[in-house]
Amino acid sequence: MMNSTNDTNDTNASLELQRVFEELKSMFVGCEVSQIEPTQFKLIVPSDKMLGMLTYLKGIGYSHLSIITCVDWIDEKKFELVYILFNWSNGVTFLVSTFIDRDRPIFYTVKDMWPTAEYYERDVHEFFGVEFEGNENCKKPLMLELWDDLPPLRKDFDPLQYSKEHFPDRTYEKDPIHEARIIRGDIEGDIEGGEIDG
Amino acid sequence: MDKIEKIDERGVWEKIADQLRSRSMWMLHYCTGCGAVELPPSTTSRFDMERLGMGPMATPRQADLFLITGYLSTKTLRRVIYTYEKMADPKYVIGFGSCTINGGIYYDSYSTINRLDQYLPVDLYIAGCMPRPEAILNAFTKLMDMIRKGEADGWKRYKENYEWYKQNQLRSLGEVVVYDEFHE
Amino acid sequence: MTALKVAGIFLTAFFFGLTFEGIGRKITARVQRRYGPPWYQNFIDLFKTLSKHGYTHGWIFDFGVIMALGGIIASLGFVPVGGIVAFPGMDNFFVIVYLFTIGSLGMAMGMVGTGNPWASIGVARALTLMLGYEVPYMISIGSMLYFYRTSSISAIMSAQGGDWNLVKFPIGALVALISLQGMLGKEPFEAPMAPAEIASGPMVELSAKYMGLLMLMNTFMEFAEISLFVDLFLGGGTYFVFLLKYLVVWILVVLISSVLPRFRIEQAVYFYWTVPIILAFVQVFMTVNGFVF
Repeated sequence: MMNSTNDTNDTNASLELQRVFEELKSMFVGCEVSQIEPTQFKLIVPSDKMLGMLTYLKGIGYSHLSIITCVDWIDEKKFELVYILFNWSNGVTFLVSTFIDRDRPIFYTVKDMWPTAEYYERDVHEFFGVEFEGNENCKKPLMLELWDDLPPLRKDFDPLQYSKEHFPDRTYEKDPIHEARIIRGDIEGDIEGGEIDG
Repeated sequence: MDKIEKIDERGVWEKIADQLRSRSMWMLHYCTGCGAVELPPSTTSRFDMERLGMGPMATPRQADLFLITGYLSTKTLRRVIYTYEKMADPKYVIGFGSCTINGGIYYDSYSTINRLDQYLPVDLYIAGCMPRPEAILNAFTKLMDMIRKGEADGWKRYKENYEWYKQNQLRSLGEVVVYDEFHE
Repeated sequence: MTALKVAGIFLTAFFFGLTFEGIGRKITARVQRRYGPPWYQNFIDLFKTLSKHGYTHGWIFDFGVIMALGGIIASLGFVPVGGIVAFPGMDNFFVIVYLFTIGSLGMAMGMVGTGNPWASIGVARALTLMLGYEVPYMISIGSMLYFYRTSSISAIMSAQGGDWNLVKFPIGALVALISLQGMLGKEPFEAPMAPAEIASGPMVELSAKYMGLLMLMNTFMEFAEISLFVDLFLGGGTYFVFLLKYLVVWILVVLISSVLPRFRIEQAVYFYWTVPIILAFVQVFMTVNGFVF
């Protein structure tokens, strides 16, 4: 979870990182920095300044893109795109994230800076529906073949209902999940057939 | 529960051939899912599988035992189906673990199947998550007994009920043969 | 009479070849501290493959398998086994080596006819390895043939008298042993045929009876090659003495193969063209100048 996002946490960072944060705050207005661990920092940027921030960070040494993922904030109607960058010389990880609109999720591609970003963006496109302008390969399926439903990792997709529709289950005389709840003590009741034995 | 005695319709040559087939089964080196981690201990020196005559074989053309070790996502299931159809008769399928029986811990996933015998004819299931090598060797000896008595006829059931299996496969998968960009 | 002798050689090769392979599997298992399969396991494997319902890939495929088996059977008919010489006067070394190639080329043709790209790659590897092991073998055997001024195997067997050629040409025997390891397709030169290398290389598309026939071809080929080695270097002998010498050579080969890993093809060919060739030339030098023990 995020700590509070103010200058008090910057005192835990080393001097060099403090300078970096000051530069970032002066160049990109609206950027917030918080510390997760001594070597992991989260930077939240408005979406129009994101590409500039990534380019700048790649230039000062955070040149390894570990992954691009997405978080679905369904109540605030936003997608949070997270880019994890790593610096090999001082071992610090930056999680650079931005919020984009959930109903029209469009963003820019970074595959010209990092060629592997093409596959991460295809992954995010397939599972969340975010479109990346400039990455035409997003239309081709990478992991899901012949998929015709909502993008699966969105929070309004119900996997249990999809599984019941498409993949037939084995029917038992008793309902194992109900019995498991009784054994665990979540609900009261008796199990038919006596005690559980080995 | 009463067991219905099946009539043994095999001729003399089939009976001899089944005795030979049970003593030298070659399993296909295709290990789906997380249960494949229990196969190296069964094959190597501690729980030796070769004394039963079994050994790994690399191509589906020569193998006669197919081990489905664990969950099957829809993508893997397509490839498993056409690998199964490439194998030469007679062939046997064993389902390992609870994911092949009723979906296991992935029963509510949008991409793993819940019941293997809707799509492929299974001769034997092994319960567990994952079953230990002792359980696996026990299952192999049970399969060998079933072959000798003539009860392991999954391949005949597949040929006889081909339409039913195909219908189930198409219902869950859409299409069985899909070309992906890495294998053009 | 000739037909009986030929039948005798085949039955020996069939029965003892498969039995010794089973014993080899048992020895490998014991080296790895486990029990292995029973000694008759290879018989069961062979008959099981003949009882499956397989697939064919066209007439080139069928013809290739038959040509492979036929070539090996033909070359096996000429090799003197124990006291049995089926075609006396015609068991020339070069005839046997020539007929071996029919076997390999038949297999190559049949496998390429399946259309599977891995079969073509596997066949290319097998033939590349053949380029490796044939050259030092021919040089060292050639020096021995020069010494005896004959290339008939029966003549060399009887000219050894009490001393084996193993003692007279020790370096040549060493080179022939190293080449034998490659000819048999055992570790460390197992790259063309191993199951873990691109799904068995040439044997990737063989299903039921074709696999059985190819396993039989492999057994006959091993029998012919090791019999040649025993005849040339260990002096042949009567039937059971011959089989005993065969067993000793076979156990040596299996022990070496059970502890070594696999070379890549280019490493194997590079090895064959450096160390054994130099040793073979040393042997030639010694033979030509009369340093024979």
